[in-house]
Amino acid sequence: MKRELAELTVIKTGPGTSIQDLGRIGFSGFGVPVSGAMDAFAMKWVNYLLGSSENAAVIETLQPGLKLQFNAPTKICVGGALAKIKLNENLISLDKVIPVESGDILEIGAQTLGAINYIGIEGGFQTDEILGSRSFYQGITSISQLSKGNNLSYFKGKSSSITKGAKVKISRDYLEDEVLEVYKGPEWRFLDTESKEALNSSTFTLSKLLNRMAFQIEELVPNLLQEMATAPVYPGTVQLTSGGKLIVLMKDAQVTGGYPRVLQLPEKSIAQLSQKRAGSKFRFKIK
Amino acid sequence: MMPSYFQITPTLSEFHWDMEVSDELLQRQLALKVKLEEKFQQEIIDIRIGFKSLGISWKKEMLIDRWFEKNEIDFQSITLSSKIWKIPVCYDEAHGKDLLSLASSKNIEPQKLIHLHSTPEYRIHFFGFLPGFMYLEGLNPLLHSPRKKIPELSIEPGSVAIGGSQTGIYPSASPGGWHIIGQTPISLFDPTAFPPVFASPGDKIKFISIDKEEFNELKRNPSKPSYQ
Repeated sequence: MKRELAELTVIKTGPGTSIQDLGRIGFSGFGVPVSGAMDAFAMKWVNYLLGSSENAAVIETLQPGLKLQFNAPTKICVGGALAKIKLNENLISLDKVIPVESGDILEIGAQTLGAINYIGIEGGFQTDEILGSRSFYQGITSISQLSKGNNLSYFKGKSSSITKGAKVKISRDYLEDEVLEVYKGPEWRFLDTESKEALNSSTFTLSKLLNRMAFQIEELVPNLLQEMATAPVYPGTVQLTSGGKLIVLMKDAQVTGGYPRVLQLPEKSIAQLSQKRAGSKFRFKIK
Repeated sequence: MMPSYFQITPTLSEFHWDMEVSDELLQRQLALKVKLEEKFQQEIIDIRIGFKSLGISWKKEMLIDRWFEKNEIDFQSITLSSKIWKIPVCYDEAHGKDLLSLASSKNIEPQKLIHLHSTPEYRIHFFGFLPGFMYLEGLNPLLHSPRKKIPELSIEPGSVAIGGSQTGIYPSASPGGWHIIGQTPISLFDPTAFPPVFASPGDKIKFISIDKEEFNELKRNPSKPSYQ
């Protein structure tokens, strides 16, 4: 039986709010970025708590200030950054399954730790699935970010007053951790000692240029390498430009690139970095 | 020549060939891809190809250096496609705003530039940069041109451009630093279709010069590109 759909309406949002699941897996051969939740760790927790599938679509916010109104009952769960979350003006807890009723208003307020929140909903958001994923991406989904007035479909649920999830304690230590575990990229071995040393022991600062495609780093690293023949890149690939700029590719990154790939972040470090704000300090721990 | 193997993370690895970009290298890459997909179908998330490399994402931790050392890959096991896709391009100034300046910087007539660009058959090596963007090999060295110092904020979909030693078609609106010399009315990427692109790595494409009327006609009545 097909479940009846309901809708929520975006009343207010900052830039960069989108629908994400685990991304478009297996389409890189057509030049299609993988996309998907930047902090896949937090996103999977939200779905786990709701009892949804791991890949269920959630809302990803890159800034505080999102305000939503539901038009039918369901259950939601908010995870990710430590933030003030309000349902109808009352503070609610993160990592808890919260019942909502028709007309309820959810607000994501100021964040005290971390940068990204995930709003999961029972059964996942039912936006269009294109090339195996509902993740927003310009030119693939009809919109690339949410704006005021947009409606999102979800499964209509029953009214309920039961709040679940009180026993789960999710560690947020990773949001504060300034050490990112990374691997050597394919071009690491061509770097000279000075550049290697800089990557190994410098404290870096995240610049203001942060989006779902890439995060740029303030400090420059000496670089004598030339651009190279275009080669595969992945979310988490750290490119070193000819000007010495470090660019960490994130989930919406293109699938190939021409800058030397000096480091590679594993999924855990991508999640960790994605939760840092402009100006945050961090170091690489090279494996 | 055998490629070198590099383990990036427990779930990412890469083969690299230290040789010039060529049909022969592409044939080796595609032969290895077929072999890997045959042997490790259950373990592979996807395979990405670059001009001199082949990258594999694995579902779980995977080391295949031993397998690769023990198993000889017959690089002659596949032959490159003989398909040649015809891509109509309008080189009129209205569609190729940098054509005249590029021709004059090279001291050649615009007609000569169009001729040099539309004569070769270009080999598709892989897709990257944007969904549906084809990395093509075969641009006449006379047309190699440094990228613009300041990239344009938005380039129209279908724009045919030259940057460095490459030529390509922007499948969607994008910022870009290449010189725009024309535009194709055909669609390069359809996310609602499977596959979302019409051509495959190994196929060739040829640009067919059309005039403004033909461009507008093909925009009104879109058709899929044909091949020979």
